[in-house]
Amino acid sequence: MNEKMNYTAAFDELKTIVSEIEEGEISVDELSEKVGRAAELIKICKEKLTSTEENVQQILKEMEAKES
Amino acid sequence: MSEQIKDKRVFSLSEVMLSIQKTLGNRYGSSFWVKAEMNKLNHYKHSGHCYPDLVEKEEGKIIAEIRSHLWSRDYQRINQNFLQLLKEPLKDGIKILFQAKITFDPKYGLSLWIQDIDPSFTLGDLEKEKQLSIQKLKQEGIFNSNKSLKLPLLPQRIAVISVETSKGYADFVKIIDHNDWNYSFFHMLFPSLLQGDKAAEQLIGQLRMIKRLRHHFDTAAIIRGGGGEVGLSCYNDYHLAREIASFPLPVLTGIGHSTNETVAEMVAHSNHITPTKLGEFLIQKFHDFSVPVLEAEKSIITQSRNILERENKSLENLVKLFRSDSVSLIEKNKSEIKNAMVKIHSNSLSILNQAKLGLKIQTEHSGKIAFRQIREEHSALMRFGQRINEKSADYIKKQQQQLSYIEKNVQNLRPENVLKRGYSISLLNGKSMTSAIDIKKGDTIETLLFEGKIVSRVETILNTKNHE
Repeated sequence: MNEKMNYTAAFDELKTIVSEIEEGEISVDELSEKVGRAAELIKICKEKLTSTEENVQQILKEMEAKES
Repeated sequence: MSEQIKDKRVFSLSEVMLSIQKTLGNRYGSSFWVKAEMNKLNHYKHSGHCYPDLVEKEEGKIIAEIRSHLWSRDYQRINQNFLQLLKEPLKDGIKILFQAKITFDPKYGLSLWIQDIDPSFTLGDLEKEKQLSIQKLKQEGIFNSNKSLKLPLLPQRIAVISVETSKGYADFVKIIDHNDWNYSFFHMLFPSLLQGDKAAEQLIGQLRMIKRLRHHFDTAAIIRGGGGEVGLSCYNDYHLAREIASFPLPVLTGIGHSTNETVAEMVAHSNHITPTKLGEFLIQKFHDFSVPVLEAEKSIITQSRNILERENKSLENLVKLFRSDSVSLIEKNKSEIKNAMVKIHSNSLSILNQAKLGLKIQTEHSGKIAFRQIREEHSALMRFGQRINEKSADYIKKQQQQLSYIEKNVQNLRPENVLKRGYSISLLNGKSMTSAIDIKKGDTIETLLFEGKIVSRVETILNTKNHE
């Protein structure tokens, strides 16, 4: 659940930065900071697309525990 | 034939049965149409015959019940009709309109011999049941519950209800596991029958299992395909539809058929006509997430570049402006200085000239005053001189008179003149004496007279002071 929040939050934050930059609300002083943050967020988002952390063994264990 | 035992007329069982058979045969000679619920089909695979249990219910309670039989050949034909029209075989729990004849067998008893079944009646009834399921779910207010759940931005973890060997499952897995964009899904199979009488129950069981494990999943997908289009009425089952509608995760369906949409599909979060389409839907969700990210990336790069360029340009302009302003300012100052110099020069000259003029006037003026003063002083001096002369002459005359008078006196005071008149001067050691104090007895004193000098020795000294 928390991870879901994370990428949703990352995505939302990214959208905010993009709209700030597109609307020219960002000064040159902030620019490098914002671009750096955006790069981080993009990385997080891209990683989310190409990896999962779910564990089949864990699910099977829970399944057995609940059946017994 | 009956026999007489004591006073009773007794029939053998077969006689009774045969009598009934005969009576019924006379009474119910022709076949007729009956509607009933087929509780159980009781199909015997070996013989191919069916012995359906027929009931009539009123408010859930059985109010009539009878056995029936359906011979193999009739069953085959009727089942074929059902499959064609309903996409469902003859099965337990459906309502049927059938043509039957009452039979009575001495050994097997009363039974309805089903000769034909009208599939359109069952179809109508199934449709009625489907509508009833929909209505019930709507009344319970859960018909749209699953649809109103929010599918996560990335539906990445999928609980798949399907069959390992199903073609639909294979299609689905192929789509999501071997996509061109390297998108990563986690999926786990929860096997279940997907069609037929037992399917609804198993599907519900697996859904409940997934519900317990829901924190591991983003969505549940029911996937079926390639198994023909028979036996799908289970997806109209009220209980299954209810389970899906009230499921805590979004349920996606890809059941793969061309019949009317089932209730399960209607209440699912979204329905996809095939497992492949369902897989593509999930991929699209990833695109929906990925494309804006890529666009954001692009946008940030271009916009940042734009901002930097813009700032650079405005800086350049500012520098240019600054340079030209500075130059013009310097030029302006230079010319101002030059003007000031010229002004100072000309002003100085005029001030100097004025000063000169003033000085000249002043000089002339001063000269005149000086002359006048000098003249005044001169005449005052002259007057003064005159007065001095006059006064001096008076003074001199007075002084001369005084002088001559003094001279006369002085003449009178000359020692010779004094001596002449009888006075003498006594000297002690060459010095004149005025007192006898310093004189001792025996001292030699000189006495000067007008003519001559006497040297005498002191005999007696009279101290005039003591004397007096």
